[in-house]
Amino acid sequence: MANSALAAAEGGHPGAGEGAQAPVGSVVIVGGGTAGWMTAAALANRLAGLPVTITLVESDEIGTVGVGEATVPHIRFFNARLGIDEADFMRRTNATFKLGIEFVNWGRKGDSYIHPFGAHGEPIEGVAFHHIWARYRRAGGTEPIEAFSLPVLAARENRFAHPAPDPASLLSTYSYAYQFDAALYAAYLRSYAEKRGVRRIEGRVIAVDQDGESGQVRRLTLDDGREIGGELFVDCSGFRGLLIEQTLKTGYADWSHWLPCNRAVAVPCASAGPLSPYTRATALDAGWQWRIPLQHRTGNGHVYCSSYISDEAAAETLLARLDGAPQAEPRFLRFLTGKRHRQWNRNVVAIGLSAGFLEPLESTSIHLIQLGIGFLMDLFPTREWDPMLAREYNRLMDLEYERVRDFLILHYHATERADTPFWNYVRTMRVPDSLAERMTAFRERGIVVNYRDGMFLDASWVAVYAGQGIVPRRSDPRAEGLSDAGLFIKLASLREDYARMAGELPQQARFLEMIGARMDMRAPEGVA
Amino acid sequence: MAAFGSGAFGALPRSGPAERVAISGGGLCGWLAACLLARHLPHLRIVVHPASADEETRPDRSLGVPLAAEVLLPGDLEHIAAAGLRGGDLIRHCRGSFMLGTALTGWRAAGGPAFVPFGEIGAPLGPVPFHQIVAAARARGHDVNMANYALGALCAQTGRFAPPRSDDASVLSTLSFGLAVESDALRRLLRDDALAHGVQHGEAVADPASLCAAADLVIDARGAPEAWSENGGEQGGEDWSALMPFDRALVAKRAEPGTPPPPPPPYAHLSALAEGWQGFVPLAGAMTETLVFAAAAPPAEVTGALPEAHRLAPGRSAAAWQGAIVRMGAAAQQHDPVAGLQLHLALADVVRLIALFPANADCAVEAAEYNRQWRERSDCAFDYTVLRLARNGAKGAVWDRLRAAALPHRTAYRHDLYAANGRIALHDGEVFETPGWVMQFEALGIRPRRPDALAMTVPDMAITAHFEAIRKAMLAGVAKLPPHGAVLAEVCA
Ligand SMILES: Cc1cc2nc3c(=O)[nH]c(=O)nc-3n(C[C@H](O)[C@H](O)[C@H](O)COP(=O)(O)OP(=O)(O)OC[C@H]3O[C@@H](n4cnc5c(N)ncnc54)[C@H](O)[C@@H]3O)c2cc1C
Repeated sequence: MANSALAAAEGGHPGAGEGAQAPVGSVVIVGGGTAGWMTAAALANRLAGLPVTITLVESDEIGTVGVGEATVPHIRFFNARLGIDEADFMRRTNATFKLGIEFVNWGRKGDSYIHPFGAHGEPIEGVAFHHIWARYRRAGGTEPIEAFSLPVLAARENRFAHPAPDPASLLSTYSYAYQFDAALYAAYLRSYAEKRGVRRIEGRVIAVDQDGESGQVRRLTLDDGREIGGELFVDCSGFRGLLIEQTLKTGYADWSHWLPCNRAVAVPCASAGPLSPYTRATALDAGWQWRIPLQHRTGNGHVYCSSYISDEAAAETLLARLDGAPQAEPRFLRFLTGKRHRQWNRNVVAIGLSAGFLEPLESTSIHLIQLGIGFLMDLFPTREWDPMLAREYNRLMDLEYERVRDFLILHYHATERADTPFWNYVRTMRVPDSLAERMTAFRERGIVVNYRDGMFLDASWVAVYAGQGIVPRRSDPRAEGLSDAGLFIKLASLREDYARMAGELPQQARFLEMIGARMDMRAPEGVA
Repeated sequence: MAAFGSGAFGALPRSGPAERVAISGGGLCGWLAACLLARHLPHLRIVVHPASADEETRPDRSLGVPLAAEVLLPGDLEHIAAAGLRGGDLIRHCRGSFMLGTALTGWRAAGGPAFVPFGEIGAPLGPVPFHQIVAAARARGHDVNMANYALGALCAQTGRFAPPRSDDASVLSTLSFGLAVESDALRRLLRDDALAHGVQHGEAVADPASLCAAADLVIDARGAPEAWSENGGEQGGEDWSALMPFDRALVAKRAEPGTPPPPPPPYAHLSALAEGWQGFVPLAGAMTETLVFAAAAPPAEVTGALPEAHRLAPGRSAAAWQGAIVRMGAAAQQHDPVAGLQLHLALADVVRLIALFPANADCAVEAAEYNRQWRERSDCAFDYTVLRLARNGAKGAVWDRLRAAALPHRTAYRHDLYAANGRIALHDGEVFETPGWVMQFEALGIRPRRPDALAMTVPDMAITAHFEAIRKAMLAGVAKLPPHGAVLAEVCA
């Protein structure tokens, strides 16, 4: 790597340790999808200064899944750490801003709510707002909880501006993420990584050699006979899990009894209407449909369970529901929800679809990639391969996967829908104890069971509970003691404040222009 | 927001069922619960019942060992303030003294005393945590004392301290402090405050269960039972004596000589002895002392005082909240007090009960969540305490036995992970964050086998410059501070 020569000239790494104490010196990434290039870019950035070579192998013949366009706010920290300029990045990936996800028809047919990147209301006299709101609803109040959320009100009118840094301002009460073209994002990161010394090899891996004694992966052989040796292998090969599963036989925890959707069909279409700063997830008879608006087109897909609907019917349903002309043939994808028993096994760390799959209902996959990369950095191995590193990595990733899993199951389970066999199944299925306890605690007493690690915080749980019709039966006694009249006056004025502030934000399309993030019409391929 | 200024609902009438709370045990734990509940939930009708007619004359075991002084951790002071109690009052009425951490002597095999401060250590360098930078510097042959980069430790060394002002943007704003208070004076302060907020005295009752008839919720604050397995006939209590083997404690308080007496040092002191440990917590004008050991092998100098020693029975009950009875403080769990968490744990119980206070008699959901959080906090306190007792470098047969003892999986995991690469595994319910754990490991003589790879990417020169910049800013900040004694005198004036 470019920087390692410099570091060596400055006296090298006297303490980096020799032999077993030294960090591994070569990393091989298999796969050039979103996971592969995010890993390559982050390693190139963060390991600059260590004598490490980074190689990425990808196969044009196999290609990438190519979907995966909606994100969560954490991606901004990932980009910021790489030093990526927002407007430049948005222009080159045709990106839009995202304030949350609209869920249509989930709790009941005809329902709609937005799960925003931000909290609802604000605590009153130390009591969390959802207790106040629940009390208000039981007293006959009709406003949904989202009437007290600035990002929701802005999103519903297609408005957007950056949050304000001043914590006293209502404009600081939200966060945001992006919706982007996944292929362009991977290409963007590829050019970033290659500039920083990552070596890219095109070719298909056809054989994997393991060390006879330790079982560690030693060498990959490509279809043209080339061999690639390495110390740490990051498996970003997608669903197939070339190293983690096909080679190491790590095993997979199948969660499809809780999240039965196992297929998707995707098709982009022409944009229609104003540019909306949110993703939409519409519940259908045997799954749901996503709609992700980008600057130049809209991404669409139908995620479904093959036991309840055929591929043809799923594609037909999707095509009939597009709000613009389709721009490609429908693409079918198959998956099994769950995760590898160990995402770090021997000297292989699986990141991306090779590590596990949770359906894109809350746009979590790219975030899980990002987390994996962060933990790998924190636990970067030395040649002694201390087993504690893999144990800690797996402990942390297992927690994240399980908590995202529970949050996704909530969307299906907290429903009154009984109109199709699919909804009857998910409504009545037995959910993990960890989720059943949470739901009871909220339903009975408005308790939001929270945790330290796990991407979805209290506000997200409240948004989905409340959005899908769970209003706590009892509130905090401090909220119970409030008078109806006072409550209605306060909430009415609060709602007006939010609505007024939201109405002052510009349309997202206008805002993209203002900050110079409007896509570059001249050179759509011009990713340098 | 203007429309939602504090007290927006202050004038609104409160409705809902009256809540009757009976507290069994008029020790520090009972009055702490009474006072905070009365202040946060003014609709409650609270009665405190002594556990026996002569309770006032007996040692107060409601938090565990009847220590002469207790310590409020930095986060605890926020809860005290949120209840509307003033720190200044605690200092004036309870001989309060600011606490910046604990000096540990004899806990590591090599090296002198160590200081475990509250609050942050140093500052991260980009994405790399400070303690990993230190590990990298050490791997390159530098001798680094981490406490030199902790503001609390520098203040403790120089005896300078004042609570940071809210508008202070300098390094001083990161100063994290607790408070040492005289236990009995705190009990009286909380009692008087509770009575002023409508709490009533009740008659002495030996069995909390008998209070259920006249109350919606009963708080058992009588202290630890004789044995955890027979706690009120419940199943599943845990006995922790294998990893917390000391079962006796002697406590003392002596006035500091001199008029006026010298100002108290702003830290506690903890020495490992061959047969146990000895702790000193300073108060304004007094020094309190605790000696903890096993009755089977007492230090030679205390054999005469053995009958006066208080019993210590580490363990916990299966669940703190069962039916309509919530066990709080030592009635639910007792740890060896070596980590100084007795008051912290009881306060956490009270704060948790306020957040989960039941709206009516059916409180199974609140109880389940309370117990979950209580157990998490208890597990974390357990890990911190047990690692201090069983993974140190102290000299003596009892320590050798403890070091050889097998630890529960999670406790061992925390140690093994840190020893491997300096990572701290944090869990839900943690008492201490990463710096608190790192400094405890430092004080016990445990260091990562190898530094973090990212830390090794930082050039030597950058590390040296970073250390110097931090140290310079801290020393400049500390130099501006007044002597600790002067600040206490001003509060009390
Ligand atoms: C229907 C659907 C919708 C999704 N929506 C979202 C979303 O909205 N938000 C979100 O965050 N995530 C979403 N995801 C997940 C997201 O698409 C993935 O997490 C992301 O694309 C990462 O994929 P990957 O890089 O792991 O795998 P892939 O994109 O499959 O890449 C695999 C790579 O490995 C290479 N490869 C494989 N085998 C070999 C071999 N033998 N030799 C050499 N190279 C090989 C391939 O060439 C390719 O480069 C969605 C996923 C699906 C299925």
